[in-house]
Amino acid sequence: MKEILKNALTNVSKADYVEIRLEKKATTSIKFQGKKLEKINSSQEIGGNVRALVKGGWSFITFNRCDELKKKVEQAINVAALIGKSKSELVEVPPVTEVVKRKLDRDFRQVKLKEKKELMENYNNIVLNYSPKIQSTNIVYADKFSTIYFANSEGTYIRQEKPFLAASITAVAREGDNIQMANEALGTTKGFKGIEDISLKAEKAASRAVSLLKAKSVEGGEYTVVLDQTLGGVFIHEAFGHLSEADFLYEDNRMRNIMKLGTKFGFKKLNVIDDGSIPNFLGSAKYDDEGVRTKKNYLIRNGVLVGRLHSRETAKKMNETPTGNARALNYRFKPIVRMTNTYIDNGKIPFNELISGIKKGIYAKKFYGGNTTFEMFTFSAGEGFMIRDGKIAEPVKDVVLSGNLFTVLNNITAVGDDLKMIEGAGGCGKNGQAPLPVSFGSPHLRIKKVVVGGK
Amino acid sequence: MEQLMKKTKEKVDSAELFRVKSKTVPVNFEVDRLKSVDISDYEGQALRIINKGKIGFSSSSGGRDPYSIIEKAIAISEFGVKASFDFPAEIKLNDENKLNIYDSTIKDKSVTEMIKIGEEIIERIKDFNKNLRCDVTILKHNNKIEYLNSRGADFSYNKTFFSYSMMIQKTEEKDFLMIESSIGSGRDKLDSKELTDGLLEKLRWGENIVNLKSKKMPVIFTPNAAMVLFLPIISGLNGNSVLKKISSLTDKKEEKLWGDFLSLYSDGTIDFALGSAPLDDEGIKMRKLPLIEDGIVKNFYYDLQTAGMAGEKSTGNGIRHGIQSVPAPGISNLILKEGNMPFSDMVKDIKEGIIVDQVLGLGQGNVISGAFSNNVQLGFKIKNGKIAGRIKDVMIAGNAIEELKNIIALGDRAKWVGGKYKFPHIYLKSLSVSAKK
Repeated sequence: MKEILKNALTNVSKADYVEIRLEKKATTSIKFQGKKLEKINSSQEIGGNVRALVKGGWSFITFNRCDELKKKVEQAINVAALIGKSKSELVEVPPVTEVVKRKLDRDFRQVKLKEKKELMENYNNIVLNYSPKIQSTNIVYADKFSTIYFANSEGTYIRQEKPFLAASITAVAREGDNIQMANEALGTTKGFKGIEDISLKAEKAASRAVSLLKAKSVEGGEYTVVLDQTLGGVFIHEAFGHLSEADFLYEDNRMRNIMKLGTKFGFKKLNVIDDGSIPNFLGSAKYDDEGVRTKKNYLIRNGVLVGRLHSRETAKKMNETPTGNARALNYRFKPIVRMTNTYIDNGKIPFNELISGIKKGIYAKKFYGGNTTFEMFTFSAGEGFMIRDGKIAEPVKDVVLSGNLFTVLNNITAVGDDLKMIEGAGGCGKNGQAPLPVSFGSPHLRIKKVVVGGK
Repeated sequence: MEQLMKKTKEKVDSAELFRVKSKTVPVNFEVDRLKSVDISDYEGQALRIINKGKIGFSSSSGGRDPYSIIEKAIAISEFGVKASFDFPAEIKLNDENKLNIYDSTIKDKSVTEMIKIGEEIIERIKDFNKNLRCDVTILKHNNKIEYLNSRGADFSYNKTFFSYSMMIQKTEEKDFLMIESSIGSGRDKLDSKELTDGLLEKLRWGENIVNLKSKKMPVIFTPNAAMVLFLPIISGLNGNSVLKKISSLTDKKEEKLWGDFLSLYSDGTIDFALGSAPLDDEGIKMRKLPLIEDGIVKNFYYDLQTAGMAGEKSTGNGIRHGIQSVPAPGISNLILKEGNMPFSDMVKDIKEGIIVDQVLGLGQGNVISGAFSNNVQLGFKIKNGKIAGRIKDVMIAGNAIEELKNIIALGDRAKWVGGKYKFPHIYLKSLSVSAKK
């Protein structure tokens, strides 16, 4: 393969930069809904792309027929030449040749379909038999093994293996017209062992769905909110993380000004990190999809903005060092600036201390989903409790938190001491590239004056 | 394709082969400038079989061995779901009600022409205010669907789609105003002025930020935001949710839940709409299916398998979400019948209320129960019959099934959103609105 790619990249002097990325992947998915096995599939895909840069203009060509690569490279260069009118800028990185293989605790490609199906059936039964109030379930299993071949005109050749495995368990409980759902999920790159015994998650999903039936809807308004590690992680990923993706800043002077390094950005004990080099997490890889080595990047240190996430182009244009954050969902997409494993680092406050002193507040846990448009964010909690007089009180439902990032970062009043990284079954979405595997995490956080939607 | 079918037929009871070939070319402008041109060629095939009464499925894209999916599908059928249907027999696409979904001028559109369209759009916005940031994508798409099954059905069709989408951003001292808009059609007849005029109007409305107090108040949903109310409804009308009894609308067929003027259709027979096709993705004729008519729940929508399990008939709503997915109940184009009140009259009618145009978190939360709760990403306050300015840090929440009972009026002009949905303005008597103090 190395020779084929190298060969296709000879005689590309008309372009400032060209890369080829080929991908081979096989996936399995299984879905139970209620008592029935709803879906069981397997698919295989081979495809690739060529990306070329000529005088600042990019072209990107994708295909499933991976023959005649030389011709595709030529086409890409011609299209890019059509639009390039300025100067190409890419930060320099050393060319590498490397094969990155993955060792799995148990290789899911060797696990028989029958075993996968029976395992999920078992979790499904745990949920279904939990209570007569369980109306239905949604149990999803997915595995994917990709091998990615990358080569560029600067002499880099990388072959990386990327395994991914996820199980998601949703319980649906019903009482008359009242229908409630709860989800527990797990994603991993480490192998099949991780999902072999998650019965406890199945029980948790079922019990939470049933108890939500009794929960009252939260009363809308402004509250002091305590976020659990999942929601803290979602918050930092959604609300802040996306804003530190340099592709939205680098050509926008006003945004650059707001996101100037050195700006005070929140509570002084706040530290935020994105690190794609932690071994084998969902967002991890030795090299990103531009062949740049990943690393630990501080975004906020002691409440001050100190870094952001880059592709080769944005790093050059902003005159900063590359961070290894150019990622592509698959061969049909170009690499864009993405997070990897993003988290708020530990503070010092134990949970009990965090909630004591809150007269009336909300303890929000788990999440249904989140979304952001730069300063504004919203996310919904999967589980919620009122906090009354410093103690966790009755459960509430339909807790949707919303706010302005800058305000909320400043309104964090305590960072817990119990950081946990969350590896879920979903992923992150940006510019139509979803779900991209990421992980995120946080200790418990206390935030004042958060708007909660409700009746 | 015939060869693959022949080989499959030798081994199983019945089989269906679905193939897609598509080409998508987006021309992207970022921060006012031409940034990239992409060319995406895609082809894939999906094989669904019924083997000893059970369904097997496998798909592939690229690769050298197109026949390997036969064995995979057979292996899967061993654990497969019991088939509650058989593939449709011979299909004839007759010419009399011919649906138009293909326009060759889109296919032939050159990148240079597309660049020009984008430049014109940006120029018009810059003329209005040169400090606005514009991101524009001009996209052309064409695909070919081919279908073949062991009972003799055999069809193919071509489809085109052309769209202009843009995002405008205004940045001032930690206030970001982001307005998104797009228009699209299967025909090369888009008017970029329609896109920019709407955007400029919203920019004018939003120049000042105004305060709002939390309470229940009248709300106008623009066509852009109407999915907030209708996503829970179409989730509830999905034949699969009904079959599983997880839909709040399960027992409500033929029940009158809403006012006379509420009529909602899944309509795959509209010329040049994105969701239209002569047949759905499993060979059943697409139609105009009343979901709600005069406020009465009329139909749930089904694919073949779900219909078979429910003892119903497919409604021509078997949709594949990508080549890797088996057909499932899906909406072709969602059409809400228009009413008779002009938008301007709705505004005049309101003493204090809001207009919701864009939300964050669509589909977030317990959709199937009807619940919605969204951040208003772009919204305006109405004060004494006039648009007073833009609102921020505001959330709306409610239950769609309940809130739709409070419609005062529907707009007199429906608008296409994303080439697939058509909604008028929706004027609700009262909705819970939470604002930051």
